Amino acid sequence: MRLSLGTRLLAFTLTTAVATALATAGCTAKSADDDGAAAEPTGKVELSFWSWAPNIDKAVDAWNAANPNIHVTLSKQAGGGDIVTKLLTAAKAGNPPDLAQVEYQSLPTLVSNNVLADIAKQAAPVKDRFAEGIWQQVTLGTDAVYGIPQDSGPMMLYYRTDLFAKYGLTVPATWDEFAQTARTLRAKSPKQYLTTFSANDPGWFAGLAQQADASWWGVQGEAWKVTVNDAATKKVADYWGGLVREGAIDGQPMYTPAWNKALNDGTLLAWPSAIWAPGVLAGNAPDTKGKWAMAPMPQWTAGENRTGNWGGSSTGVTDASKNKAAAVRFAIWLNSDQAGTDILIRECAVYPAARDAQSSPLLQEPPEFFPGQRDFYAQAKAIADTAAGFTWGPNVNVAYDTYKDAFGKAITDKTPFPAAVDAMQTATVNDMRKNGFTVAE
Amino acid sequence: MRSPGTRGAAPRGVPYLFLAPAVLLFTLFLVVPVGYAVYLSFRKVQVKGLGLGRGARREVFTGLDNYRSALTDPDLWSGSLRVLAYGALLLPVMLGLALVFALLLDRPGTGLRRFARITIFLPYAVPAVIASLLWGFLYLPAVSPLNDLVSWLNRHGAGLPEPNLLGSGPVFYAVVNIALWGGVGFNMIVLFTALRAIPREIYESARLDGCSEWQIALRIKIPLLFPPLIMTTVFSLIATLQVFSEPMTLRPLTNSISSFWTPLMKIYRDAFARDDIYAAAASSVVIAAVTLVLSFGFLRLVQRQAFGQEQR
Amino acid sequence: MTRRAAPLPTAVLLVGALYCLLPIAWVAMASTKSGSSLFTSFTFAPGGDLLANLRDLSGYGGGLYWRWLLNTALYAGGGAMLSALLSAISGYTLAKFRFAGRDALFNVLLAGVLVPGVTLAIPQYLLLAKVGLTDTYWSVLLPSIVSPYGIYLARIYAAAAVPDSMVEAARTDGAGEFRIFRSVALPMMGPGLVTIFLFQFVAIWNNFLLPFIMLSSDDKFPVTVGLYTLLNQGSTVPALYRLVIVGAALSILPLIALFLSLQRYWRVDLMSGAVKG
Repeated sequence: MRLSLGTRLLAFTLTTAVATALATAGCTAKSADDDGAAAEPTGKVELSFWSWAPNIDKAVDAWNAANPNIHVTLSKQAGGGDIVTKLLTAAKAGNPPDLAQVEYQSLPTLVSNNVLADIAKQAAPVKDRFAEGIWQQVTLGTDAVYGIPQDSGPMMLYYRTDLFAKYGLTVPATWDEFAQTARTLRAKSPKQYLTTFSANDPGWFAGLAQQADASWWGVQGEAWKVTVNDAATKKVADYWGGLVREGAIDGQPMYTPAWNKALNDGTLLAWPSAIWAPGVLAGNAPDTKGKWAMAPMPQWTAGENRTGNWGGSSTGVTDASKNKAAAVRFAIWLNSDQAGTDILIRECAVYPAARDAQSSPLLQEPPEFFPGQRDFYAQAKAIADTAAGFTWGPNVNVAYDTYKDAFGKAITDKTPFPAAVDAMQTATVNDMRKNGFTVAE
Repeated sequence: MRSPGTRGAAPRGVPYLFLAPAVLLFTLFLVVPVGYAVYLSFRKVQVKGLGLGRGARREVFTGLDNYRSALTDPDLWSGSLRVLAYGALLLPVMLGLALVFALLLDRPGTGLRRFARITIFLPYAVPAVIASLLWGFLYLPAVSPLNDLVSWLNRHGAGLPEPNLLGSGPVFYAVVNIALWGGVGFNMIVLFTALRAIPREIYESARLDGCSEWQIALRIKIPLLFPPLIMTTVFSLIATLQVFSEPMTLRPLTNSISSFWTPLMKIYRDAFARDDIYAAAASSVVIAAVTLVLSFGFLRLVQRQAFGQEQR
Repeated sequence: MTRRAAPLPTAVLLVGALYCLLPIAWVAMASTKSGSSLFTSFTFAPGGDLLANLRDLSGYGGGLYWRWLLNTALYAGGGAMLSALLSAISGYTLAKFRFAGRDALFNVLLAGVLVPGVTLAIPQYLLLAKVGLTDTYWSVLLPSIVSPYGIYLARIYAAAAVPDSMVEAARTDGAGEFRIFRSVALPMMGPGLVTIFLFQFVAIWNNFLLPFIMLSSDDKFPVTVGLYTLLNQGSTVPALYRLVIVGAALSILPLIALFLSLQRYWRVDLMSGAVKG
């Protein structure tokens, strides 16, 4: 084994050399910019920015044209969970971008891993440009600020007006009515479903749970309180599980070719989704233009007015950025300056989080895909104001991942959904304990 | 006697010099990463309190904890068993078909040989991720031509049940099929080229003795194909144990594939979706060790086959 | 020799060929369809939108797709070329020199096939990041150069195709060792090296995880990673199936051309030791 010892020695020498080099490099980088927010940049600054929003390059181009001294380079990424994975890996390796688009539920994970910088000092003045509930999403309930809100995803019900009329269905105002509507449709047309329950979209289920006043994470002093399987969540799970089991709705995942087909050919009549749904529908089922309408979500109790959020993201500045001040300026411009938000609305199909932008003249007209619903955005703004607040925990990734496995299995095995919620709770708490988080009993 | 060594003319350092680039790259991109993975497998993250704010998270040594949880993890075991069953089905079918096709290609009088050779080999050129995407479209009941066919038959009174190729039972075979599709052609070419290398005179004399093509294949060709068959088995076995891309790509399309459907998927999930590279590293070491044990016997056998003469 | 028609063997081969063509025929048909008819028309019926799809694909991100194709050619072509050369010199050395540690070294190199890529990806990323090489072309090229399979094959080719007598004759003529390798051994190993090149080309082209982790700038992506980002844009953005399908169909074409043109050099028979040196 002479050789393998030799290689091991070589390996050791190399890693040591590399580690030393790194340590030195790291030191110089830190001391040069310890207090990133302090000084205004002098000379030309280069920023890198990761995002998955469509056409966001137009916003970046506009910024670069107006700010010759702060040049932003965009790198389009795969969206959702992929970008978080890549950010974590890049941060571990010490080379994350300066700015990144981050969904609200991923903020605690990134903050807990020291990926994002606290930009409170610079961001405090723009606090008032956002609704309180949204701002809370980027502060995590602390004094720090970890991102500038970009968009929110208040949930609403989308349905096919033509098919509702054809089968004599009315828009359900409560979840009881929704279930009845689903059954009525099945009786009238056995090939169609009112909607589908997707085991692939934990963010969607989280929004549904929020509407029922669920609370999955909370902070109790210096400990986390984890209640993914609280009564509200179980109620929601039980409701949907019953509908799937009796065959009143479908149990196939969303965002698959089969789902696209179902939207195109009218196999699915309704979709509890969020404010950004028009863009998705236009992309996936372009021929159904004008056949959809939007209504508030069905309620758990008649007369109530509540909804949850599905998605929504912010622009965060990384802790490793050497130009935090410039980066924050870009993030603020993009998400709350009219020049930025106009492009977000017009080009990126984003429903902006900034208050002023929500009443922008650009939002007077309905989405192109919904020409019939003149008051689309007025109604949307009213619904958005009823969105429940929510606290995210540091391992949403684990809870979400378990959601897919547990609900997928519950649907294929035809077992009750509340057990899947218990599985999420167990996996989430176990993971937090294993990592040493203090979890309250 | 054939000796690979030369009779003393080459300077002593030359072989080491010639191998230096390979050894250097191998060390940098295989040995060091593997060593690093082993190192990580003994560590874990330790968080303080809420885990928010600076310095709340640090890496500590944890001994064999990660290995203990890997070995007692039912998910890892169920995935491993599934992969063994997957291999037990895939390997014989894939190599059997490859053998049949290779023999047919080598058989005088078979038509379409050139066309078939190119076509059957074609899937090798399609990356697994893209292949799985294409097959996924062909599987999904809503868009599958198989379901179109069944509903057409049913309109004519066949009364067949609607198949769901991505349902919890069939999905296993659906994944096997993608691997089969991608692998048959490659193995066929290996076996076919080995057949082409056999001197034709052997067959001629057999034919003169009155052997049919079928008997020639059975009695002469298949025994001569033994060494390449062992080789392709080893290569396919290793690839089989590392199955990952196919189920990973199909997963978003169905409820039937979990995040720990195969061991490598679980490793991927731990490392990427759950950000626990420590657990992933420990599972990786376990899987690599199992692969080593399973392949080692074969590997030794092959080496004796391939280098028998050279090393003597 | 008799030339009788053989209907059964021909039929079996035909069935095999049709099975292999099925998904490819599907992607060819699907690439001609518009966004809606992709999901609503019969699977194997062609549409009339191929040109529109190609135009939209070309237009995406200002021609990003073509950039991805070029990158793929660079990663797979360049990587496979370097890999074939490295395998050649290593295989030749292992086959034609006798030196201490030869077998141990060979076994260690060969054991490399046992390490799954998923296991290597993160440590490789972290280590390359420490020298600032992530998100560069090198981060995908360098780890792709060493191929245990390639070295293994090259050793067999060298043993089979390069006669010891030639090497010795060159030595007697006073040629340097590297010169002997370059002008005597290398040309003789030619067909075998083409095979290694093709092997490694496919291996790199198939490896999704390495570039996915190493690269963050979309202008450095290979086709597979690029198409993946089109498909997985999160829930707020529709997946661009139409572009992905036409992009996938298009990306298979150069590979088919490569294989057809290099087919006659294809010498996998040596892999099994079937040809005696």
